[in-house]
Amino acid sequence: MDPTLIGQGLLSGLLFGGVYSLMAVGLTLIFGVMRVVNFAHGDMMVWGMYLAWMLSTRLGVDPYLGFGLCAAALFLLGWAIQRGLVHRIVDAPHEMQILLMLGVALVLENAALVAFGPDPQRVRSPLTAATVWLGPIFVDVARLVTFGLALALTLALWFFLARTDLGQRIRAAADNPYGALVIGTDVGRVYAAAFGIGAACVGAAGALVSPILPFQPAGGLSLSVASFNIVIIGGMGSLVGAFAGGLLVSVAESLGAVFLAPSMKELVSFSLLIVILLFRPAGLFGKRGT
Amino acid sequence: MSASRSTTRIPRRTVLKGAVAGAAVLGFPLPLRAQGPVFKVGVVHPVTGPLAEPGQACRLGATMAAEAVNAAGGIKSMGGAKLELIFGDTQTKPDVGRTEAERVINQGAQMLMGSFDSGSTAAMVPVVQQRRVPFLVDIAAADPITANVAKAVKEGQQKVQYVYRNFPTGSSFGIKAVQYFSEVFKEAGVAPKRVVLMYCNDLFGQNNAKGFQAAHAAAKPSWDIVDVIPWPEPPQDLSTEVSRAKAARPDIIAPITRPASAQLLLPELRKQRLEIMGVVGPGSPGLYESGQLAVLKDDLEFVMASTPWANFKNPRTQKVAEDYQKRSGGKTFDTNSGYSYDGIFVIADVLERAKSADPDVIVDAIRKTNYGAGLMQYAGPVVFNELGDNPNAVTTMIQILGQKPVAVWPKEAALQKFVFPRPKR
Repeated sequence: MDPTLIGQGLLSGLLFGGVYSLMAVGLTLIFGVMRVVNFAHGDMMVWGMYLAWMLSTRLGVDPYLGFGLCAAALFLLGWAIQRGLVHRIVDAPHEMQILLMLGVALVLENAALVAFGPDPQRVRSPLTAATVWLGPIFVDVARLVTFGLALALTLALWFFLARTDLGQRIRAAADNPYGALVIGTDVGRVYAAAFGIGAACVGAAGALVSPILPFQPAGGLSLSVASFNIVIIGGMGSLVGAFAGGLLVSVAESLGAVFLAPSMKELVSFSLLIVILLFRPAGLFGKRGT
Repeated sequence: MSASRSTTRIPRRTVLKGAVAGAAVLGFPLPLRAQGPVFKVGVVHPVTGPLAEPGQACRLGATMAAEAVNAAGGIKSMGGAKLELIFGDTQTKPDVGRTEAERVINQGAQMLMGSFDSGSTAAMVPVVQQRRVPFLVDIAAADPITANVAKAVKEGQQKVQYVYRNFPTGSSFGIKAVQYFSEVFKEAGVAPKRVVLMYCNDLFGQNNAKGFQAAHAAAKPSWDIVDVIPWPEPPQDLSTEVSRAKAARPDIIAPITRPASAQLLLPELRKQRLEIMGVVGPGSPGLYESGQLAVLKDDLEFVMASTPWANFKNPRTQKVAEDYQKRSGGKTFDTNSGYSYDGIFVIADVLERAKSADPDVIVDAIRKTNYGAGLMQYAGPVVFNELGDNPNAVTTMIQILGQKPVAVWPKEAALQKFVFPRPKR
C-alpha cells in the first residue's frame, strides 16, 4: 500500500471530519437538553447550504464570511420549530417525537424542492480552487478553513455552555428540568434557545460545507443519518463525544476508501457503530444511563 | 356577536370540500384532461428525490410530446383518441416506483412509460407483467429489465412479454464506449495506455461499469483499465477516491456519474492536479446538463461522454429543442427529455397500428414497430429485438466545447471536431 495514499486519506478524512463534528454537535446539544432526536437535522443543514448559496449568488457574499448569517437564520427557524411544535412533544414517547421530526423533515425537504428546484448546486468560492502541497500530499485549503472554523465554533459553544449564564441555565435544564424550574429558570425558553443553537450549528455547518459538498433538496436524510451515527458513537448528549466522533467517522471512512473498495466505506462507519454499541453502549464519551 | 358569527360561519361541508380540492391541487399533479375518446398512459419518473432534475426533464419531454400528438389529431385509427398522461413519481426509490406503477394502473393507465432510474424500473416490471399493461421503458439501461422477462417467456414461465425498451442497454453502452474511445484516440493520433474507471455503485452504475469492462475484455483494445473505483451514491466526499485514482497514474479518467457525484468528482480532479489527457465518460448523467454546466463551469470544459443524444442535424429536433428550452427555463433538450419525448411518439405509432386498447394486440404492434421519425441519434429506425430492446438506440460521443455539449463522434453524427487530448491548464 502506497504510504502517500494513506497519508492523504488520513489528512482528507481529518479535515472533512470538522464538518461532521459541527453537524453532530448541533444534534447532540438538542438531544442532551431535550431528549428529542432531531430527524430534521440534515434537512436544516440543507437549508443552511441553500441560504449560503443565495447569499453567494444574489449578494456575492462568500460562504466563509456569510456563515454567521446562515447560522442566525437557522437559529430563528430552530427557535420557531421548538416553540411551535417540539415543545408539545418534549415529554411524549420517542416514537411520537420521531414521527413529528420526520414530518418536519419532509416539509423542509419539499419546501426546498419548490423553492430551489431539483438541480444539485454548489457554492463557488475563491478558496475552493486553492490547494497547498506538502511534498506529495496536498492540503485542500477550503477544507482546512472549514475545519478551523468548525473547531473554533465548537470551542465557542463549549465556552458558552460552561461560562455564561444562559449556558448554565441550559445545562441546568438538561440535568434536571424540574430543579431548573424551581430556581426560576424559564425552561420553555431555555429549550427553545437550545434547539435554536443546535439548528444554528448545523446551519453554520451547511454554509461552511456548501463550497465543498454539492447539495440538493433530497440530501437531508443521509446527513441526518450520518449525524445520528456520529452522535451515538461519541455518546448521546456529549459535546466532546460528538466532536471526536465526527473526526473518527470521517477518518475511518476515508481510510476505508483507501484499503477497501470505496463503495464499502460506509460499511466502515456503521461497523464502527456496532462495535461501539457492543463494547461501550453509552458511546465513547457518554455517561451510562443517558 | 352570536348573530354575526352565525352569518359569517362557513359550513363544515364547504370547508371539507375546499380542503379536498386544495389537497387535490397541491398533492396530485393533474393529468392532461382531454375531451372525447382517450387513451391513458401512466408516465412515471423520479420527480422528487436525488434524481429529480432528470426526472422532471423526462416529465416535461413526455408532456410536450403528448401535446404534439393530440394537437395533430390524436390516435386517428382509434377515433382520434387523445393521449391522457397520468403522472407518477418514484421519489427515486425503487419501492415507490412499484407502488406508483400500481396506482397509475388503478387509475386506468392502459400503457406505462418510465422511469429513468434502473432500480425503480426493475421494480415496476413485475407489476406490468402481472397486470398485463404494456410498458415502454423510455430510459433505464440495466440489461436485466427486459432480458429477465424475455428469458422467463422463452422458458415458458410467463406467457407474454409486456416490457420493451427504447434506450441503449448497459452492455451496448459499454460496447459503443470502448469502440468510440479507440476511434477517438486513433483519430487524435495519440495512444493513451492507462484508463481508470470510476463509477457510482447503484444498479445503473454497476451495470454500466460491468458492460464497459466486458466490452473492453472482448475488444482487447490497445489501452488498459488499470483500476476500478466505485463510490457509494450519493457520496459525501470523493477526495480519497481521487487520490486512489491518481496513484494509478492514469492517462484517462472514465467516470460513470450522477449529477451530484459529478459535482464532487470533477473539481477534485482539478484540485489534485491529475495529469491526464482527458475525462472521457462511458455514459452517464451529470456531465452535460445545463444545471451542471452552470455549477461546474470550466471543470466540465473538454469533458467527453459517450451518451444517448439528440440528433440536432434534424430540423424537427431543433424546433422541439427551442420549445423545450423556453418551457424548461433555459435547459438543453438532452438525453432525458429527448428519450421521453420519443417514447410518447413511439407509443402513438404503436397505438395507431394496434387500432385497439387490448394489451396483447398492443404488444403485437410493439413487436412490429419500425418507427423512423425519432428525434434522438439512432443507428436506424426504432425496432425491438427478441429481448424487447431497440438495437438501434445507440450512444453518441459528446464533448463540452465553449460551455455547450456538442456531438463530436462518430463522424456522421458530429457537429464539431473534438479537442483531445485536452489543452494543458
